[in-house]
Amino acid sequence: MKISILGNSTGRGRRTSAAVALGAVLALTATACGDGGSGAGDGGEGSGKGEIIFWDNNGGVRTDIWKEIIADFEKANPDIDVQYVGIASTEYQSKVDTAIQGGGLPDVGGVGAAMLAGFAAQGALDPLDDRLDGSSLNGKLNKDMVESLRAAGGGDDKLYSVPTSANNGVLYYRTDLFEKAGLEEPTTWDRFFEAAQKLTDKGANKFGYTIRGGAGSIAQALDAMYGQSGITSFWDSTGKKTTVDDPKNVKALEEYAALFKKVTPAADLNNDFTKMVAQWDSGEIGMLNHNLGSYQDHVKALGADTFRGIPQPTGPGGKRVQVSNPVDGLGLFKSSKNKEAAWKFIEFAASAQSNSKFNESAGQVPAHLDAAKAEWIAKAEPTKLAADALTDGSTTIVQLPYYLPDWNTISKAENEPNFQKVLLGDMSAKDFLDGLAGQLNEAQAEWDEQMG
Amino acid sequence: MITKEAVVAAPAPAAAVPEPPRPATKRRAWDEAPRWQIYLPLGVYLVFTLVPFYWILLFALRPAGSTSLVPWPVTSVHFEKVWTDRSFGTFFHNSVLVGVATLIMTTLVALAGGYALARFDFKVKRAFMLALLCSQFVPGALLLVPLFEIFAELQMINSLGSVIIAETVFQLPLSMILISNFIKNVPYSLEEAAWVDGCNRFRAFRVVVLPLLRPGLIAVGSFAFVHSWNHFLFALMFLNNQEKQTIPVGLNTLMSADSVDLGALAAGGIIAAVPVVIVFAFIQKWLITGFSAGAVKG
Repeated sequence: MKISILGNSTGRGRRTSAAVALGAVLALTATACGDGGSGAGDGGEGSGKGEIIFWDNNGGVRTDIWKEIIADFEKANPDIDVQYVGIASTEYQSKVDTAIQGGGLPDVGGVGAAMLAGFAAQGALDPLDDRLDGSSLNGKLNKDMVESLRAAGGGDDKLYSVPTSANNGVLYYRTDLFEKAGLEEPTTWDRFFEAAQKLTDKGANKFGYTIRGGAGSIAQALDAMYGQSGITSFWDSTGKKTTVDDPKNVKALEEYAALFKKVTPAADLNNDFTKMVAQWDSGEIGMLNHNLGSYQDHVKALGADTFRGIPQPTGPGGKRVQVSNPVDGLGLFKSSKNKEAAWKFIEFAASAQSNSKFNESAGQVPAHLDAAKAEWIAKAEPTKLAADALTDGSTTIVQLPYYLPDWNTISKAENEPNFQKVLLGDMSAKDFLDGLAGQLNEAQAEWDEQMG
Repeated sequence: MITKEAVVAAPAPAAAVPEPPRPATKRRAWDEAPRWQIYLPLGVYLVFTLVPFYWILLFALRPAGSTSLVPWPVTSVHFEKVWTDRSFGTFFHNSVLVGVATLIMTTLVALAGGYALARFDFKVKRAFMLALLCSQFVPGALLLVPLFEIFAELQMINSLGSVIIAETVFQLPLSMILISNFIKNVPYSLEEAAWVDGCNRFRAFRVVVLPLLRPGLIAVGSFAFVHSWNHFLFALMFLNNQEKQTIPVGLNTLMSADSVDLGALAAGGIIAAVPVVIVFAFIQKWLITGFSAGAVKG
């Protein structure tokens, strides 16, 4: 390379210094290029001792309780160290996906139904059926939760995640406002709509309901839709066509979307759960649909005596229909070099004592049958009601197709903006549901084809 | 080797260029305008800008569950919680390390590369400049997996060094272009005079050119610091140990899938924002001078 100096000086030293300077820069810049990659790879059983790494899929508010469980585990297994890494739920999938492509997966990770299909499809998880068969957990875990995770795992009928807890949709309502307005508990959809209307006084900035119009809106809209229509299955009898665009669901969605701005704040259009919960906790809004996870936030903000959290209202014929909430669990990554120790940790974390401790803190329904009988459940009303609803046969759960690799894309990026159009009146509920149904049917057909 | 004549006609540093006088008619119109026409729009703009900050302060300083619009009684509970229970003390320390190391590495390498670009001519210089500019269009997320693999090969995953190198790499192109423009603005004759007085090139650069680059160095350094302080992606992906994580990643973990502690989140946000505000408050004069001077093509 010929180098000339912008000046009248010359010399080998100057050329060298320029070359070194540019070389250093190019070397650093080139760091951004690379090729090849190490996939998830197979690990090994290991010695059952030493260090294992655990990635929490909902780090932050659960950090303290996980650290407590880890401390208990390390006390019981002094030759195993667990390194805890709390990762925000919003970033978990991308972090795991990057590690699957580039290496660096942990030994154990939180793997809920919503992400299970993607991880399993990439071959990142170890099947756990054999380990579970020979474990003290065998027969002690809630069968529905086990089956839910098995179904979400990718269609090979293998279990890739040991269930730890289930969430459930809850209708939170302000008992003080209901009492003041002389309203009955919103246990039916008719009462729900009536209360939403009567509690609204826009002039005084009071609203009957807060709707989720931003991130996560689709699952909530589906819950309200199936709850009202009473349709109990996501797919028709052929298993190839979804029921989301059934005329009963279209009518239900029209009624639900019509609540926007009539009985809800206009700002709800962009509500994700954070804004929705914050709005309900700090304002005078009568009702909120969310799940068990925000119960403690409401207690902190409103006190335990001014609200209740009950299962979703019942629909036609007194039947309660809800869509499934993702079951959470723990998975063993295939690349782990210490699977024996990793499995010991999973067993311990899913045991009655740890599972009870975890779910008491999280306010969710325990997966371990003995933990589900713990005393604290009777005192945590929404959790108890949710647990009863899930087990006493009063509720039909419409299983959302978490097993479809495209489910997250379809139910989020591709359709949340369209749902906002429905709320604004720029798109009809029918057009929205027809579009959604088309995408789902196509994804299901692709899935069927892949599964043979 | 081809030697060019010195670029003695290069403009003086922009900092030294006096502002041209405003035309008399414009100055009169400005002076005669009623004060409210100036201050009212500014006030409205200020309210829009400051309300979100007030909101963060409100949530951070008032007790949980309070709906008061003033932070009274004031509580430090949220700050104590994030600083100790949520390890923000550790995150803060890590962010300072990453920020300062990125600042130093970016500035030093950009200085060397910028000098070469400003003072030397070579065959692929234009292509190199074009490559530098084009690299600005490549999002970090696109290079995440290759970078991850490289750092994994180098056993640097879970080390602050990986984040510092990645941040430096992404800061360098812009920083180098800016620095090279600064150096072009320093008359070459000053360096030549120093050589005549017996300095070698490095000493002439250090004694004569470097002091004149102060606005540029502050601009580039602060930009590198603030960018690496706020950057989330590399720290999230390359650091697995809780003890190694940085403030943006820590902030993110204050929001769970279905629950959020707004008081803690606001307190964490203030802890994250304070160093950036302080940096900008101290260097804003240099920053504006620096960027405007660096923007001049030499």
